[in-house]
Amino acid sequence: MPEQAQILPGTLDLLILKAVSLGPLHGYGILLRIAQISGQALLIEQGALYPALFRLVRQGLLKASWGTSDNNRRAKFYELTAAGRNRLREEADGWNRLVAAMASALRARPEGA
Amino acid sequence: MKVLTSLRSLASALLRRSRVEGEMDEELQAHLRDRADDLERSGLDRAESQRRARIEFGGYQRYTEECREALGTHFLETLLQDARFGIRMLRKNPGFTALAVLTLALGIATSTSIFTLVKATLLQPLPVRASSRLVVIWVSNLKAGWSRIGPTGQDYLDWREQRTKSFEDLFLFEHGTGTVTGGGEPEQVAGLRVTTNFGDFFGIKPALGRTFRLEEAAARHNLIILAHSYWQRRFGSDPSIVGRGMTLNGEPYTIIGVLPAELSTIFPGDLVVPFDNDWLKRADSDLGVFGRLKPGVSLRQAAAEMSVIMRGMALQRPNRRDFGTVLVPLESARVEYIRPALLVLLGAVGFVLLIACANVANLMMSRAIGRQREVAVRVAIGAGRGRLGRQFLAESTLLALLGGCAGVLLALWCTRLLTWYVPSRIPVPNAADRVLLPSVHMDGAALAFALGISLLAGIVFGLAPALQSLRSDINESLKKRERGSLPGRGGRGPGAALVVAEGALAFVLVIGAALMLQSFSRLLASRPGFRTDHLLTMRIKLSNDAQDSRYRDPWQQAAVFQNFLSKVQAAPGVEAAALAELVPLTQDDMDMGYFVIQEQPPLPTGEHLSADFRDISPGYFHTMGIPLIRGRAFTDRDSRDNPRVVVIDETLARRLFPNQDPIGKHVQIPDALRPAREIVGVVGGVRDTGFDQQPRPTIYLPSLQSPDQTMSLVVRTALPAAAIVPEIKNAIWSVDRDQPVFSIRSMDEIVWEITSARRIAFLALDVFAFLALVLAAVGIYGVTSYAVGQRTHEIGIRMALGARPRDVMRMIVGQGARLAVFGVAIGLIGALGLTRLMSSLLYGVSATDLATFATVTMLLVVVASVACYVPARRAMRVDPTVALRCE
Repeated sequence: MPEQAQILPGTLDLLILKAVSLGPLHGYGILLRIAQISGQALLIEQGALYPALFRLVRQGLLKASWGTSDNNRRAKFYELTAAGRNRLREEADGWNRLVAAMASALRARPEGA
Repeated sequence: MKVLTSLRSLASALLRRSRVEGEMDEELQAHLRDRADDLERSGLDRAESQRRARIEFGGYQRYTEECREALGTHFLETLLQDARFGIRMLRKNPGFTALAVLTLALGIATSTSIFTLVKATLLQPLPVRASSRLVVIWVSNLKAGWSRIGPTGQDYLDWREQRTKSFEDLFLFEHGTGTVTGGGEPEQVAGLRVTTNFGDFFGIKPALGRTFRLEEAAARHNLIILAHSYWQRRFGSDPSIVGRGMTLNGEPYTIIGVLPAELSTIFPGDLVVPFDNDWLKRADSDLGVFGRLKPGVSLRQAAAEMSVIMRGMALQRPNRRDFGTVLVPLESARVEYIRPALLVLLGAVGFVLLIACANVANLMMSRAIGRQREVAVRVAIGAGRGRLGRQFLAESTLLALLGGCAGVLLALWCTRLLTWYVPSRIPVPNAADRVLLPSVHMDGAALAFALGISLLAGIVFGLAPALQSLRSDINESLKKRERGSLPGRGGRGPGAALVVAEGALAFVLVIGAALMLQSFSRLLASRPGFRTDHLLTMRIKLSNDAQDSRYRDPWQQAAVFQNFLSKVQAAPGVEAAALAELVPLTQDDMDMGYFVIQEQPPLPTGEHLSADFRDISPGYFHTMGIPLIRGRAFTDRDSRDNPRVVVIDETLARRLFPNQDPIGKHVQIPDALRPAREIVGVVGGVRDTGFDQQPRPTIYLPSLQSPDQTMSLVVRTALPAAAIVPEIKNAIWSVDRDQPVFSIRSMDEIVWEITSARRIAFLALDVFAFLALVLAAVGIYGVTSYAVGQRTHEIGIRMALGARPRDVMRMIVGQGARLAVFGVAIGLIGALGLTRLMSSLLYGVSATDLATFATVTMLLVVVASVACYVPARRAMRVDPTVALRCE
């Protein structure tokens, strides 16, 4: 198992949006998808996923509908709305800028050395 | 618009509520199942994978809670949910709920109804301009023993002339009666004669017409302003009444206006007529003067200025030497008779409320302790403390509201009871006036009061113990085998403190009630000096205002009264009848006067003998049942043509003739024209001014030698008033068809009225004390039986080790009784301080009466012991084997 990291506060929403952007998923599926796309590196308490999902639905970023899962059970599927798609783009850009800035900051060396 | 949208979303949210709730649960459960399936596939067994799935998920309850919040459930929605939870909890424990609600309801009902009464009587401002600055001005002469008497018209004119700096304006009025004739039965009306600044002084806005004009005092004008009730009664609320005429005392008057209805609380009369300046100079009795203080002037400043003015006046008018003034704010003068009773009641009811609150706190605490483990479990599985606190809050609020509603219903009933019991008229001590109490009914303020009190009581006293349990350490609570330990343990802790407090509060109340009970029974047992039963009284006033009146000559007045009397005496059903200038206990003004005894050396200058003078007809002592001690009573021969005589009462006889026979001595009234009067008899003393007053020195004069314009008829009869009154009226009308008879009251009614303040205090205080005792007993019972429940295990061990049931009993009762005794000790100290406050209501018993204190102490200890005995019996029956096994 690769080294695991606690996710930063506020990044869970971004991860969920990203996971759902790849195709409609139910709750447990989102969890698996996040684990998969992060290479099992990000650790979240599973229950914490749901309040975040509900919040995103309420903000109009996700859309939920009941359907049938792979194992033929009734499940609630989440997909991105247009607003969610925009938000994902903005957040991803923001994140990338932050990471770039952080990376360059951490690369800095003592001047004149 | 926004409100509408949010309302709509709230409504749909509420409708969707249960569906969403179910779906949320389904979704989370699906997650757990999927995860467990995956784990099982990776090789774990079913049970283990389910366990692991739960652990990985985290606090299930916390996350559902967070989901609910994320769903944006409304505050109101959570509130509803909490309320539903509260109802569930309350229904799970119907005994507890009923007890708490009942306790609260009793506390709230009593305090709300007394608050209603106090508000109606003490707090309601008078419906006049600047009522808080109005002051009643009496004159006093302490040397003569006059603490408050009405000023004369001349006093009023002098004060006006001085242009006092303290008062903006002064107002004078006189109570009087008049005869209205023309159109139906002759009617005696009560009225006021007022100075013409009447309207401006009180800021009156008449319902119809106008009030008097200042310049109308210059000459005599026969103008009338009708009281609202009289306008309705006599004139059927005729809107075109202004400008019409009516006949008063045989003279034509013009109606110029109608007073507004709300003024009836301060002017309980039928009509108002003006003083003119000449009349004002002559007016000398039964007068009332009000002053309106300038803004910012204190009562003390005004009193100081008035005393300077009185000293200056004495130089001009020597008969005003030794006179001072007494200033009392009008608003307190009206209620000073009943205020001590009301304040005592307010205090008492506060105590009842406190005891009720202590009981609720007690109950909630026992329950909180019982639930400590439950709370700990819920916190451990992820319930937020804030959320739990909110649920406790919802539960206590519900309890408080239930108690409040029940309390208000009870209060409505109590208030109705009070209205019936409280007389609408309150006699004012030493003032020539009676006061009409406003009607007592519950209003918005009282309801707000009840709601506030119940929320405060329920929430503060209910929530505090619950929060206490929240704050306690979860691990400790979970580890503990027995559930909680607060009240048991040898009677320490908050439960014990509550028992002590309840004991102390109940003790103070019961002491107060016991003192009141004794005062009241002594008061009723104290003989006023005459027989009060089967005695009917009424007033007759001869009209002499009109120029052509038949009764302008005093001797004519005496003759016609004698004529009335003989007709009444002959009426069927009349056992005895007589006339008197004043009826005892009616608290009208006193007829005090100076005199000298001819046979005794003159007193040093400045000192006087004084006594109350009463004009009475023959047969008065017999009718009233006043015992004749020496000599003889008056007869028909004690008339104008025969030697002047008097009868004195034994109070005066004892004071003036300690070791002599007063018969044959002569009373001289300081007026050169009047002959000395021989004392022919001595009668028993009469408590003329009230049951609680000592008989005052009195000199009786025969009315045939000392005629009056107004007299009271007293009739002793076995018949009910309704049967005899028409006979008496007919007897009087057989002499004069136009003669009104008024103020028809039985002596029993008069007694009822003058004992009203004490009776209210006595009755309510005793009810409250009983309530307090019951509530305190319930509280002690609750704490003890809870302690017994907690200690079943311990008791089992004790009994297994050889303790006999009697020992267990002694232990439990002893502990409860010790607490009660401690409470009583504290109550004793409180009572010694507090009963002093009610000393003005006590009669014939000291505020620190030893016997009362001893008896009440015993009573409380006995009640407390009984309250402990019941649970102790249960403890005694504990079967050690069962008790030990159940742990």
